[in-house]
Amino acid sequence: MTGVLVLLERHAGAIAAASCEAVGVARSIANGGPVVGLLVGPGGAAGATGLGVDRVLLAESPNLDHPSGAQLAVLLAAAADAASSTTIVVPGTARGRDLVGRVAVRWNASAATNVTEVATSGSGALRVTRPVFGGRATEELELPGPRQVLALKPHAFSPPATSPAPTPVEPLALPEGLAKAPALDVRGFQPTVGGKGPELGDASIVVSGGRGVGTPEKFQVVEDLAEAFGAAVGASRAVTDAGWRPASYQVGQTGKAVSPQLYIAVGISGAIQHIVGMVSSRVIVAINSDPQAPIFRVADYGIAGDLFAIVPALTQAVRAARSH
Amino acid sequence: MEIAVLVKPVPDAETRLRPDAKGLALDPEGVKWVLAGYDESAVEQALLLKEAAPGTTVRAISYGPVARAEEVLRSALALGCDAATSLEAPPEAPTDAVSVARALALALTKHPASLVLCGKQAGDDEGGIVGPAVAELLGLPDLGVATNVRWDGGPGGLTMERSVEGGLEQGRTALPALVALQQAWNDPRTAKLPNILKSRKAPIERIPAAEVAAAMAPSAATAPRRLGFRLPPPRTGAKMIEYKTPEEAAEKLVRILREEAKVFP
Amino acid sequence: MVDFSLTEEQTSLRDMARKFAKGEMAPHAAECDRAGRFPEEIYRKAWELGLMNLNVPTEFGGSGLGLFEQCLIVEELSRACAGMTTSIIANCLALEPILLGGTDEQKHRLLDPFCASYHLASFCLTEPSGGSDAGSLKTRARRDGDHYVLDGEKCFITNGPFASLYTVFATLDPSLRHKGIVAFAVPRETHGVVPGKEEEKMGHRASATSTVRFEGARVPVANRLGAETEGFSIAMRTLDQTRTPIGALATGIAQAALDHAADYSKRRQTFGKPISEHQAIQIKLADMAQALHAARLLTWQAAWTIDHGQPGSLESAMAKCFASDAAMRVADEAIQVFGGYGYMKDYPVEKLLRDAKLAQIYEGSNEIQRIVIARELLARYA
Repeated sequence: MTGVLVLLERHAGAIAAASCEAVGVARSIANGGPVVGLLVGPGGAAGATGLGVDRVLLAESPNLDHPSGAQLAVLLAAAADAASSTTIVVPGTARGRDLVGRVAVRWNASAATNVTEVATSGSGALRVTRPVFGGRATEELELPGPRQVLALKPHAFSPPATSPAPTPVEPLALPEGLAKAPALDVRGFQPTVGGKGPELGDASIVVSGGRGVGTPEKFQVVEDLAEAFGAAVGASRAVTDAGWRPASYQVGQTGKAVSPQLYIAVGISGAIQHIVGMVSSRVIVAINSDPQAPIFRVADYGIAGDLFAIVPALTQAVRAARSH
Repeated sequence: MEIAVLVKPVPDAETRLRPDAKGLALDPEGVKWVLAGYDESAVEQALLLKEAAPGTTVRAISYGPVARAEEVLRSALALGCDAATSLEAPPEAPTDAVSVARALALALTKHPASLVLCGKQAGDDEGGIVGPAVAELLGLPDLGVATNVRWDGGPGGLTMERSVEGGLEQGRTALPALVALQQAWNDPRTAKLPNILKSRKAPIERIPAAEVAAAMAPSAATAPRRLGFRLPPPRTGAKMIEYKTPEEAAEKLVRILREEAKVFP
Repeated sequence: MVDFSLTEEQTSLRDMARKFAKGEMAPHAAECDRAGRFPEEIYRKAWELGLMNLNVPTEFGGSGLGLFEQCLIVEELSRACAGMTTSIIANCLALEPILLGGTDEQKHRLLDPFCASYHLASFCLTEPSGGSDAGSLKTRARRDGDHYVLDGEKCFITNGPFASLYTVFATLDPSLRHKGIVAFAVPRETHGVVPGKEEEKMGHRASATSTVRFEGARVPVANRLGAETEGFSIAMRTLDQTRTPIGALATGIAQAALDHAADYSKRRQTFGKPISEHQAIQIKLADMAQALHAARLLTWQAAWTIDHGQPGSLESAMAKCFASDAAMRVADEAIQVFGGYGYMKDYPVEKLLRDAKLAQIYEGSNEIQRIVIARELLARYA
């Protein structure tokens, strides 16, 4: 029987969706073994109940407000040993991914990030699949046992159903190594600007606009559609380079890579630069005036036509459909 | 200040991907190996810090088959790095991230640096494991996904921003430290033609394969085994929605998203 | 021994030029073409990266490349925009007379400060009354003490409005024909140097072309390049050097045309399949590829010949003439592959045809090249 440890990340007091996805994966590979969550820092055990973990280990200490990667790696290794886990699953967040290399070294584990599929195979090994080359290929790896550490690709897995049963919470004895691990000196935090909607990397729907939108003012049609969907707003490099929208909007090789459930490309021709940043989205819709635009080669559904007629109509239709 | 930049040879972005004969990895035939995009940002960061702090030297370090590693090291030299170290890959050497991190750590123990820079991941395997693993091996603090790195010139260390879920974190770290950079935020420079010519003749230190193999040995047992490398089935092109009015197009799309694709919120 | 493989150094130069072309030039090519805009910011960047004074030896502040390496670079730049490339390589043409005819003192005095920051130079040979007949120049040079006084008009001068240095060919006495021609380096600030307004051109619209008039311009004797009798020879030897890169420029246009056509043919569907699966299109693409390949090989061989110290007049004339004719043909066929879209300015191929046309005309029209080729050829059958 193998146990699995999951790092539970909290953003603004709530357990992040990426951690819930990690719990689901942990359950699927635990083969009936215990799935244990690790919560770090202030906030007690808030949010731990209902996640579907068997119990929660809580690492509390005044200097863990903003734990460093080194500190988290020490805690993860100690918690995994305390819970007799053989696998650690971390959420596919920026902080989560950064832990994998450290834990692999400290805990002498086999490691993979950006995992989209995982299954147990014989003798304690795991088989994982992960996209490489910006989603243009996938590789399948066998991670030998007895210890593995995984980071998941965001949105690649569904979170498990929540369970109302209370989750036991136990304090984690802070390991000795913690004091020696370099701490992080965080001086400030600015929530992402401009986003009324969800954050680009986190959103399950992304609506992006490109050069075809024409002017910075007309970009509003893209934002209106995003709002109707409750989606994040993205942009092609042409838009951010021209200064129509800030660089933080850019989806693509030199911007953010996204893989939402639904990606809608408006007035984006589909340069390879952009494609590699969104091609692993589950469903892609393209709206473009040029029926020959390369974006239609990667899209699942396409509408060729004047975006200034189609997008407002679509915004209306989405609003109407969602209000029913 | 001594800065080390870890640079990885990756296939050029225009490489046509195809699996090798065994279907286990990318077929290296005809592949052009270039400096990884994220690592270009790391080199740029090193050069910006060097320009701000005279007396700073920048050493580029790369692991891989000699020809590939040295090609990207020459690119780094042409951009303005002062020295280069090539870690010669042993025959049949593991390419897993932790083993590579051990090789890079070997070079860093020979050339200690107060700041180690690298890309947050490379554009081929997109692992993001090597940087933090190097930090753990050397006992350094590390910061990932960093942008806007600034050095105050004193022992107080570096300030930087990093983009994490929900916002931008402003952090500070004492040196020595490892910083893994977000790609392209600092608009990496292009090498000047005379510097390209000079870099072709610059010396590159080579750490021999036997020594590299010994450094990598401890993680042999944990190295992932490759089972497959596949290309996704080609997308056959969009199903185009036929319509007479924009309203009809919108309604059809909403219905498809709801009933066929099942992604309507 | 024949060897068509590039050295690592050559590959890295080509890659660097390709990166610059794709990253800096291509995104602005259509806009500059449409507006007829001279993108100085791009030319400054080209200078900063060492892409501008390719033929000037490093001791005078240039990049010191051989002709072969120049050709590799020019082809890549031209793939992105032939017009910008013409402006970027105009310095090579304009400075070559100084390299060929100047003394060491003149080279340092004229080139060191010129190359040390962003400057443009213009080659002033052609006149309104005749281009190819260079022996019949009308611009006059008159000796006056330790100066020459220049009077006359030059036309079709690349970078004319923006140059800070002109290399000018003028005659002491038209009746002396070739033997009366003298070459000068004339700084822009010389009193009596008057660039005209920019011409509206069919293609190469990112480049600037104007007349340059000399109205009693006083040029110190110290700025005469070579002896008084050597001007014509300097002009002809200059063109022998710079003709081959025009072959490379044309090859770049042809490559761009083939790239666009092949890519489009795989995307455009007719009769239920991509047009690339129709033999009519395949035959076009195959012919385009052959013309392109032959153009490149002729260019490479001409450059190699000159780099190896041989005269190369025949080879460079063949390269320039064949490659520019090929570029015309390939661009024409690319438009045909695009069909109606190819005729539209929203698509990139019609620009290629307009750009290719100039390569058949400038730096010695293709008719002159053929005469050179025939002359060289017939001399071997004495």
